[in-house]
Amino acid sequence: MIDILHAAEIVFSAQSLVMLFLGVFAGILIGALPGLTVNMGIALLLPLTFTFEGMAGILMLLGVYCGAIYGGSITAILINTPGTPASAATVLDGYPMATKGEAGRALGLSTGSSVFGGVFSTIALILVAPQLAKVATGLSAPEYFALGVFGISIITSVSSHSIIKGLMGGAIGLAIACIGLDPMTAGMRFTFDSYYLMGGISFVPILVGLFAFSQAMLGMEDNAVEKGRSKDRKVKVKIDRVLPTWLDFRRVLPTYVRSSAIGTVIGSIPGTGGDIASFISYTEAKRWSKHPEEFGHGSPEGVSAPEAGANAVSGGAMVPLMTLGIPGDGATAIMMGAFMVQGLQLGPMLFTEHPVEVNTIFIGLLVANLLMGALGFLGIRLFTKVMIVPRKVLVPIILVLCAVGSYSVNHTMIDVFVMMIAGVLGYVMMRLDFSMSPIVIGIILGPMVEANLRRALIMSDGDFSIFVTRPICAIFLAIAVLTLLLPVVGPKFGAWRRARKAMSAPDAEGRTAE
Amino acid sequence: MKTLGLVMSAILALGITGATAQQITYPTKNISVIIPKNPGGGTDTSTRLTLEYAKQYLPSGIIFVPENKPAGNGVTGLIELAHAKPDGLTLGTTTVELAMFPHQKKAPVTYADFTPLVAQIADPCAVVVRADSAYKTLQELIDAAKAEPGKIQVANSGAGAIYDLATSNIEKKFGVKFKHIPFNEGTGPSIAALVGGHVDAVITTPGSAKSQVDAGVLKILGVMDDHRFALFPDVPTFEEALGADAGVAMRAWAAIAAPADLDPAAKEQLVAAFKAVLANPEYQEAMKKQGIVPGTLVGDDVAKMMQADHDLYKELIAEAK
Repeated sequence: MIDILHAAEIVFSAQSLVMLFLGVFAGILIGALPGLTVNMGIALLLPLTFTFEGMAGILMLLGVYCGAIYGGSITAILINTPGTPASAATVLDGYPMATKGEAGRALGLSTGSSVFGGVFSTIALILVAPQLAKVATGLSAPEYFALGVFGISIITSVSSHSIIKGLMGGAIGLAIACIGLDPMTAGMRFTFDSYYLMGGISFVPILVGLFAFSQAMLGMEDNAVEKGRSKDRKVKVKIDRVLPTWLDFRRVLPTYVRSSAIGTVIGSIPGTGGDIASFISYTEAKRWSKHPEEFGHGSPEGVSAPEAGANAVSGGAMVPLMTLGIPGDGATAIMMGAFMVQGLQLGPMLFTEHPVEVNTIFIGLLVANLLMGALGFLGIRLFTKVMIVPRKVLVPIILVLCAVGSYSVNHTMIDVFVMMIAGVLGYVMMRLDFSMSPIVIGIILGPMVEANLRRALIMSDGDFSIFVTRPICAIFLAIAVLTLLLPVVGPKFGAWRRARKAMSAPDAEGRTAE
Repeated sequence: MKTLGLVMSAILALGITGATAQQITYPTKNISVIIPKNPGGGTDTSTRLTLEYAKQYLPSGIIFVPENKPAGNGVTGLIELAHAKPDGLTLGTTTVELAMFPHQKKAPVTYADFTPLVAQIADPCAVVVRADSAYKTLQELIDAAKAEPGKIQVANSGAGAIYDLATSNIEKKFGVKFKHIPFNEGTGPSIAALVGGHVDAVITTPGSAKSQVDAGVLKILGVMDDHRFALFPDVPTFEEALGADAGVAMRAWAAIAAPADLDPAAKEQLVAAFKAVLANPEYQEAMKKQGIVPGTLVGDDVAKMMQADHDLYKELIAEAK
């Protein structure tokens, strides 16, 4: 108890609060800019924390971490461009909702779910961290494989126009993920003797190209069309309220809870992160929703699920970091450095040797998430101003951000060209009614599925029964098959049932006539 | 040290060339440093820390500008460094991969394309098992592997990477066979798999298992070096654990280097400065706080290590095929 009070004293000191605030603020900005990712933000600010005594620097990083995951949703909703990979699923329903003139509602929902996800996972971290760590280390390669397949199976349900095009997109994504060194044998695949391609195509330039650059090209096209009519685009952005309505809140609450739980567990598995959590949360939201037909057209659950899932990763990723000394994702791997500088050895001993610091991290994470919510809700009116910026001003700004963001990943021009090529291809595909999400899902989950499939088979000496004899793995795979087939078989089944009903209908009518 | 730096720069500002042995006087422009790895990792952190403590020897107004270029597994960064002008204004970090990649056709450059200056990390590979493992010593592990070839699951860093080759080296040396489980995602997931009991052993650097070892969950059986590792003075070397002819040295190193044929004056100044950095207790403390045991090799000693590793990995990779 004294530890908690002492920790609260540290967090609620003026210096710590200022640092947390600055961290969250910087994080939201970094997250909102396409190309600048959570990891980059933390890596940029890490050296700064070395100069602070005590926990202030770590609190700032926690703020950046939470803020950046949330920040990505703002651009995802407003300009159809995920600021970070973790928000790639948010565009699916966020942007359609915003174009319906409900940008404020979409941002309110995403902010609410981000805060809920963050707070939920922090509480989970405080209450059940050791148990969560056991779950994470209890899973092995077959389960990770099944989890990945489970995630990929949603391809058929996120492709709104055509299932075939969705599957094609997914295959393109998986093919892109194959480029580079073979993860198991280190042989070269599709590298054409290029040393750049050996490391695989970087993900961020592709993401920026597919979403932002292609979107900007669409914008240019629309501009050209509008020029003839000399009529300005009018987007209705009336904002009545920033907090979600009670009706909305009651409707999405189950989604909040489910997605947060998914995000927390996925965050606590080393090697997975917000990008995977958000897509899996999205599918689950669709599976459990009473209105699955609204998904892709601005469903409130569709906006909330990915954000709650992605933000819940923050607390989840702290679980293996703090209890095992193993980072859960790239961002926490970089954060480890800041902990070590302060003399905190992460791992099983942390809780007994540094109770005050542990509690400081707990309270700090909670405060960071609440500050993020406060800044987010306060900023909504300001953010939505983006919608009224004339397109001919917005498009060049987006193009510049695309180039800067892609360059900053690896400091190489090749990435900028990769981004542009991806953008042009993305534009063509959008014109052909492809959705971008299956491609992104393929790129995100492809490496995880491949590496774990092959690792599991090495462990079992090539025996495929390893995937059905392990219960958790088998359950995941079974649901994945169902998810994959439902959109294909479902309508046929429905048609068959209607046909049967129609057959029996004349009888019924005949009877009433009598 | 800071005041010394101030005094030094003051002297330089006055145009008096009264430089000490460590003073770097040649640069007229900022020195860019290519880090061919992602920010936040061991290579990046150790390089930045070393530069941080070396910058006091630079003329006033000149700084080191580190730039992360991790594209293509870092090979593109290495190529860029190898092709830079050897005027001392472009430096970069090379890693142990430079000793492996050329034999795997993954890089067109070798150690001969660089002038090594300082090896800020040289951590040995270590064999880590669960504390409750049936194998209490290296000898028991080797004996068990002999009894049941290909049964013991050893997690490593993915085929052809350092910990995989270290596993192959053990197999070759003791005539045993392990089941290699590749973890290309990095050391973290492989240690998590060991903690969860999904593999029998992990080959990695000792530092990455430190928190689990301190907590009594994992145990290090031995390190592959000619001397014990400073973080774990109780852990025997392979030679100590398995006999005089079992000596192996496999180290995961990172070294700051310049392009080949570096201007001799620049090389002399840089090596002297980095030597002073390694001897600086504040630097050693800062590195230890990051879980890194600071290296001891500078200049030609690094070149010797790089060449020895180049030959060692050439042999290992040829045999692995």
